[in-house]
Amino acid sequence: MADVVLKNVSKRMGSSQVIDGFSLDVANGEFVTLLGPSGCGKTTLLRMIAGLETVDKGDVLVGGKRYNNLPVQQRNLAMVFQSYALFPHMTVAQNIRFGLSIHKAPAETIRRKLAWSLDMFGLSGLEDRLPRQISGGQRQRVALARALVLDPDVLLLDEPLSNLDAALRDTAMEELKRIHHQVGTTIIYVTHNQVEAMTMSQRIAVLSAGRLEQYDTPRAVYDSPATRFAASFIGSPAMNFLNGAVEVHGEDAGVMTPVGFVKLDKERFTSAKAMAGRSVTVGIRPQNIAYAEHHESKRYSDTTLSVSVELVETLGDRSLVVSRGENGTALRFLITRDIDIEPQEMVEVFLDGRRVHLFDPQTNANVFSF
Amino acid sequence: MSEAWQKVKRFKIHEVWPLLPAAVYLVGFLVIVGAYLVGLSLSFEKNGVTVFPTLRTVAAVVSNTEFRHALLDTALFVIVGTPLELAVGLFLALVLYQQFRFRNFVRSLFLVPLAVPALVTATLLFILFDYPGGHVNFLLTGKYAFFPAILHAPVNWRGSEVFALGISMIGKVWRDMPISMLILLSGLNAIDPELFDAARTMGAGLRTRIWRVVLPLMIPSMSAVILLRSIEMWKEFIFPFILAGKYPLLGTLIESMYNDWGNSNGASAVAAILVLCIVVTTLLFLSIMEFLRRKLVRT
Amino acid sequence: MSTIARVKSLPVEGLKKALWVASIAAAVLLVAGPVYMLFKYSISDSTSINTGGAPIPLWPYHPTFRCFTYLFSDSQFFGVITNSFVIAACTVGMSMLLGVPAAYVLGRFRVPGRRLLLLGLISVRLFPDIASVIPITEFFIRFKLQNTYTGVILAHTLLALPYVIFIGMSAFEAIPDDLEQQARVMGANGFSVFFRILLPLSIPGLVAAAIYTFLLSWDEFIFAYFILGLGKISTLTLFLKQKLAFSPPQNLLAAISVLLSLPVIVFSLMLQKYMTAGITTGSVK
Repeated sequence: MADVVLKNVSKRMGSSQVIDGFSLDVANGEFVTLLGPSGCGKTTLLRMIAGLETVDKGDVLVGGKRYNNLPVQQRNLAMVFQSYALFPHMTVAQNIRFGLSIHKAPAETIRRKLAWSLDMFGLSGLEDRLPRQISGGQRQRVALARALVLDPDVLLLDEPLSNLDAALRDTAMEELKRIHHQVGTTIIYVTHNQVEAMTMSQRIAVLSAGRLEQYDTPRAVYDSPATRFAASFIGSPAMNFLNGAVEVHGEDAGVMTPVGFVKLDKERFTSAKAMAGRSVTVGIRPQNIAYAEHHESKRYSDTTLSVSVELVETLGDRSLVVSRGENGTALRFLITRDIDIEPQEMVEVFLDGRRVHLFDPQTNANVFSF
Repeated sequence: MSEAWQKVKRFKIHEVWPLLPAAVYLVGFLVIVGAYLVGLSLSFEKNGVTVFPTLRTVAAVVSNTEFRHALLDTALFVIVGTPLELAVGLFLALVLYQQFRFRNFVRSLFLVPLAVPALVTATLLFILFDYPGGHVNFLLTGKYAFFPAILHAPVNWRGSEVFALGISMIGKVWRDMPISMLILLSGLNAIDPELFDAARTMGAGLRTRIWRVVLPLMIPSMSAVILLRSIEMWKEFIFPFILAGKYPLLGTLIESMYNDWGNSNGASAVAAILVLCIVVTTLLFLSIMEFLRRKLVRT
Repeated sequence: MSTIARVKSLPVEGLKKALWVASIAAAVLLVAGPVYMLFKYSISDSTSINTGGAPIPLWPYHPTFRCFTYLFSDSQFFGVITNSFVIAACTVGMSMLLGVPAAYVLGRFRVPGRRLLLLGLISVRLFPDIASVIPITEFFIRFKLQNTYTGVILAHTLLALPYVIFIGMSAFEAIPDDLEQQARVMGANGFSVFFRILLPLSIPGLVAAAIYTFLLSWDEFIFAYFILGLGKISTLTLFLKQKLAFSPPQNLLAAISVLLSLPVIVFSLMLQKYMTAGITTGSVK
């Protein structure tokens, strides 16, 4: 086991800067997820740590040792590829033994570790099957088993669940979490799926276009997104954004937006007052907009808006309402399933002023989180 | 992603050494073939004295009537044989282009001629066209109930220049037809079937569809067949060697000059001329195609 | 077939169908007829060949495998088959030894100027066999390789090597990069990656290349004829040619021919996939 430190690493591919001055530190035994849309450079970063890509600038340190020019095979890392890359000509057992035999482990060790991993990953009875003879979920577990028997300093996972169907993915996530608890290896996990990131990781690094947008615990990333990108990428359904300017009306501070005056939390009046006149982007999650008729009581910090319903999408236990404010600005919010709203209806909603985020329209940085 | 990986494995001389033995072998022989061919053609031997460089060997070969005759025959062999290969290949390809029950089996069957060694095919033709009592003679003189008499008397096929070279050509075309067929079939398969349907919805009949849709789209694969097959026709050796020994083509002339007359210089000169013929034909064909293409584009 | 046409003119449809069946039949006959004839002759008894003026029967009067049993009891023929086999096997060995490493490099690395390099590698094969056989024979005479096994094996390797490189190259290219990278991450060096991952996975393609090479050498005539002549070492093709010169019984000729072509036909059909792929990409003659 070891910690991983990336110091200002950069990488060009052809004419594009794939990674641009990226820094990250992963503590020993931590489960960290690199989260971002496709093409943001997360897989490239992982491959740089693995040694499959060269590092143009900056340092990759694992366990305090500089890894930049260390050949792939000399790094004590394990990686699970998106395709699992199981060797098709080897049985499950041979796949798992491969790394050990490369490292010339004694026969006794190999036997013990094979037994351990078959047990750990529920693969007993499949030892002599070929990869093409087992299911997708089993393949994914073989890939993990094969990686972990090597006792790697760091386990690198490149979207290992993306080839599984939804139901299987849920159990696989639980299992991965359990395994991390049991073996305690440092894990760096790459995905574009926020649910995976939220469920499993201790910290999430949100990436966009080769840069780090935010690096924090799942909860912090959700509650106080550092940038507009982090706010929009995390949370489902996606956050609402409204452009406006900060204004102070007597006792109330708020933002004048196309849909109306959005009040801000009373407790942060002082800091809001300091920003008076500044243009900002208001971000509010659909979860924090309530359907007025069903709300017990309006709080002081709530803003009442009247919107026209355009579309109602059923999500199961809840429904997503797509509505438009006075001058056509879209606003999405959630209602419970027992509420009946029809399109074209005019309804009133409360915006929770305590849950409003403000972003600088130029830098996209969060200027007013809680 | 794979592009990125390839970058890591960028060309490093110490990793490319496994390529060297094969490269040395092939390039080495290329040098040997080239050097000997030029060296021998430009040498002249008289009374045990070798003169180099000189054009006397080439001059002697070119003025030789047998060579001239062989050159003419080979040119005819190419001019007649190439379209024949194209026609037979197209016929087989069109059969396979249809969907029918035993298509895969028939497809495999059509590959068989290529798997029969040329020498064996030549031997078989040797037997079938025997004189006077071969199958073909019996067939054409009406000895079988199912076939009408076309000839009055058996023909000595291998004893006549036209027929001897003719059956050599039949053998060559028969053996190589799978190659033409496969190239043309892949050309046919590359045509989007929707084009046929589109043409049909516009009211095009079968003939129009073939002339205006299929043929233009088949030009690349057909010209590939013509080019490759004409080269093969120039090079042909085994069939005329077995079936038309008395009537040499360039290939068989090389053999008889070398083995019968012991004239390695002359044989090399003929071989060099053969290579030249192939190069000239290829360039000529390519420039004709280019000319046609330009002309078609302009109008 | 459009329904309108079918309703409009049934007789035309019938005619079309008849024409279509006839063309399949003609095509099948064109291909299978000669093969059948060869087989028929090889099992003919002598009365079915020397008919004394009567037409040769389409099926022998008394089918017999006598020619085959005769050939196999003939010690000269046995020696010839052994020669062909040994030469083909050595050619396979040498071609694979030279060709597989080259195919590996060309298939797995981005070598600069790859196309040009490939052209350079096959360009010796662009010469007609009958043209390149003279220089090579002359060269072998100078280095005392004429009339030797080594000479023929060297020549056959020259013929086969470009095919081995091409087939092998595409076999190596087809292996996903992920597998190689995975092995490297697990600590394998270049050597282990090659022998434990790439080689086992490319085996089907390499076996195809080996069989192809074997067949090429087995039925090769021109180089064998020039290098060995009709001398001490004889191969199957040379044996057949030698027999042809003395107009032997036709059933014997056919029997030799069958033995010469049988392995080629069987294996070629097995390797159809590789053969057709090679032809359509223009890499096979």
